[in-house]
Amino acid sequence: MPHSRWQRCCTLIVIAFLLTLCGGCNLARHNASSTSSKLEIKFWNGFTGPDGQTMAKMVRQFQVENPDVQVNMQIIPWGTYYDKLTLSLAYGGAPDVFILQAARFSEFASFHTIRPLADLYASAQPPLTAKQFAPVPWHESFYQGVQYALPLDTHPIGLYYNTKLFREAGIVDQNGKAKPPTNLTEFLDAAKKLTKDTNGDGQPDQWGFVITNQHSNWLTIAHQFGGDILTPDGKHGAMASAPCLQATQLMVDMIYKYKIAPKPEGVDAWLALRQGKAAMAMEGIYMLASLQEQPGLQFAGAPAPQFGPKQGVWGGSHLLCQPVGISPEHSRAGWRLMRFLSDHSLTWAEGGQVPARLEVKRSPQFTALPVQAQFARQIGYVVYDPQVPRANSLNQFVDPAIEAALLQLQTPEASMTDADRRINQLLARP
Amino acid sequence: MQAEAKALDSGSVSQSLSTRSAAGGRSGGWIGWLFALPHLILFFVFLLGPTVYGFFISLREWHVLAKQHPFVGLANYQAALSDDIFWIALRNTAYFVFLVVPLGNLVSLLLALGLGQVRRLQTFYKVAFYMPVVISIAVVAVLWQWLYNTQVGLLNLYLGTMVNGLRQLGLPLSAFQPIPWLSDPHWTMPSIALMSIWWGAGGNMILYLAGINNIPPDYYEAARIDGANAWQVFKSITWPLLRPTTLFCLVFSVLGAFQIFGQSYVLYGGGAGPGRAGLTLVLYMYQQGFSQYEIGYGAAIAYLLFAIVLAFTAVQFRLLSNREESRS
Repeated sequence: MPHSRWQRCCTLIVIAFLLTLCGGCNLARHNASSTSSKLEIKFWNGFTGPDGQTMAKMVRQFQVENPDVQVNMQIIPWGTYYDKLTLSLAYGGAPDVFILQAARFSEFASFHTIRPLADLYASAQPPLTAKQFAPVPWHESFYQGVQYALPLDTHPIGLYYNTKLFREAGIVDQNGKAKPPTNLTEFLDAAKKLTKDTNGDGQPDQWGFVITNQHSNWLTIAHQFGGDILTPDGKHGAMASAPCLQATQLMVDMIYKYKIAPKPEGVDAWLALRQGKAAMAMEGIYMLASLQEQPGLQFAGAPAPQFGPKQGVWGGSHLLCQPVGISPEHSRAGWRLMRFLSDHSLTWAEGGQVPARLEVKRSPQFTALPVQAQFARQIGYVVYDPQVPRANSLNQFVDPAIEAALLQLQTPEASMTDADRRINQLLARP
Repeated sequence: MQAEAKALDSGSVSQSLSTRSAAGGRSGGWIGWLFALPHLILFFVFLLGPTVYGFFISLREWHVLAKQHPFVGLANYQAALSDDIFWIALRNTAYFVFLVVPLGNLVSLLLALGLGQVRRLQTFYKVAFYMPVVISIAVVAVLWQWLYNTQVGLLNLYLGTMVNGLRQLGLPLSAFQPIPWLSDPHWTMPSIALMSIWWGAGGNMILYLAGINNIPPDYYEAARIDGANAWQVFKSITWPLLRPTTLFCLVFSVLGAFQIFGQSYVLYGGGAGPGRAGLTLVLYMYQQGFSQYEIGYGAAIAYLLFAIVLAFTAVQFRLLSNREESRS
């Protein structure tokens, strides 16, 4: 008798378990199919910082003006954003509108996962054409001649400098204002004056310069010497080319020869700039809010110094895209949202971006933003990561090679040659 | 004896089940399957299915975003074997196994031997040494990241204080230079190994302790009467009789150590550490499969790791069980 009761009890539990599984499936299906009278648009991005609040404000404004559309914005940290986006594009559940960063754009375009936008541009009222955009981000929205995106902004790196330390070191113009360096000679001269051993222990504790992002700093300097990660045809690695080696050697020299920058290990370089222990850094405009938060920090922005014979500065771009296979209804509503965000990119600029739209960039409100307007001066010569399908995969070789050279684990020649060999291997894969 | 009784008992249960469910058919086995079903479903869906499917994937050029996944035969395996980063990852992983398995087991054994001698507060010590095992590796890594910090880490602080103290006592030591535990490629693997030993030693300690407690006390009594010292007792009684436990612990330590992932992943934020010194095979597989989305290539690396671990385990079993047989 006890056996029978026990048996019945367990059978019930097992059946309940199985029913819960099935019931869960049904419930999920039911939830997915229930819709409200408004057209729902899913919008994904990775703006977890202050820029996310700005974006939320713009989306709210859009909804006020477009009561027939319900925008469900999901902010996913960049660290997991592309995993989620990739899986949704591959296996279903993709958002109707999403942000792609320039460095990842060609990868998604090459697999035909994003919708060509030519028809939407053609039917846009008022029209939206190349003339209204800065050329570099506009060009960026194409892949192999097809336009897949609406560029929202450009975010080049630029020079942040501590104006207080500059004045203390006497690096000022005739008005007594801190004077940022514009070329290599001025840069080295200023950085040497700004590198100090303030507590007398024989080790500098205030640095003229800090390398906060090896990737963007290296690409900036490499382009200024005329180099790039890949050969112009995009088929081979070019990191061991003479211009790239010159750029790498210059960065190595900043640390070990001129001793104006700390070795990039075991130090939080960005924190050093925030805390006034470093006078200069080349960082993205998106880091502006982080410096503004620092109490008592006196800083300003300027275009990145020109170290080599050419102008060039690394930048990224936020591109608004739609997935392939989206319904015409959702696509049109999504385009309205994209168009709205582009038209209102001045609000976006206040969050720390250089808008892609020229009329916004030239507006008095934008030119009044001190750091943004300075960084925007570079917009004509911004350079991106290589636009090849495997651009993202290249970084598994590019960044460690730069690091190995800067930490002197390998000579620049050896580390860059290794990187080229691995890049060639990768690009040769089917 | 106890196990036998249990088996008998469960036998009678199933017998009574089968007689009671006569309506269900000959043996009434279906009800047993019903009970096993939840586990079997999960096992097939989440373990066996993906494992077999993984092999299928490894034979294809498979990018997550691609619509077609053409069959490429063993090309992914070939590519992995000619990829020097795969060999760097394998070398790092082997180095880690070499550091962690012998040292970790030694620490576990010493702890168990020590605990065997403790009469008071034994449970307290057991819990204390076992505690790290139940912490997730993510938490352990974040904790040790602070301990290992070159500038403000506790480890360098203690070492510095110790060296300075010894210098004041007049020992001819040079001034303490902070050790870059995690940012110098030479220190990377030893640091990860030390952290892993701290994390995992308690698990094997419990097993060794159980092994020690299973040795009949008569042997020790006899040894004492014969006047054996502690080392002789260990060498001639404890160590030989612990052999099955040691075999078990070694095999499972090797299995676990080859699969090291979380340590590097958390310490280096998904990267590979300075000069790729923290790159392990599972981490490389993860990067290829889930960062580059080349899951065909990632799956091939996974199967290569599987082959290596299988070979190691087979060799270990053969070596240690042979010795066992020759002894008996």
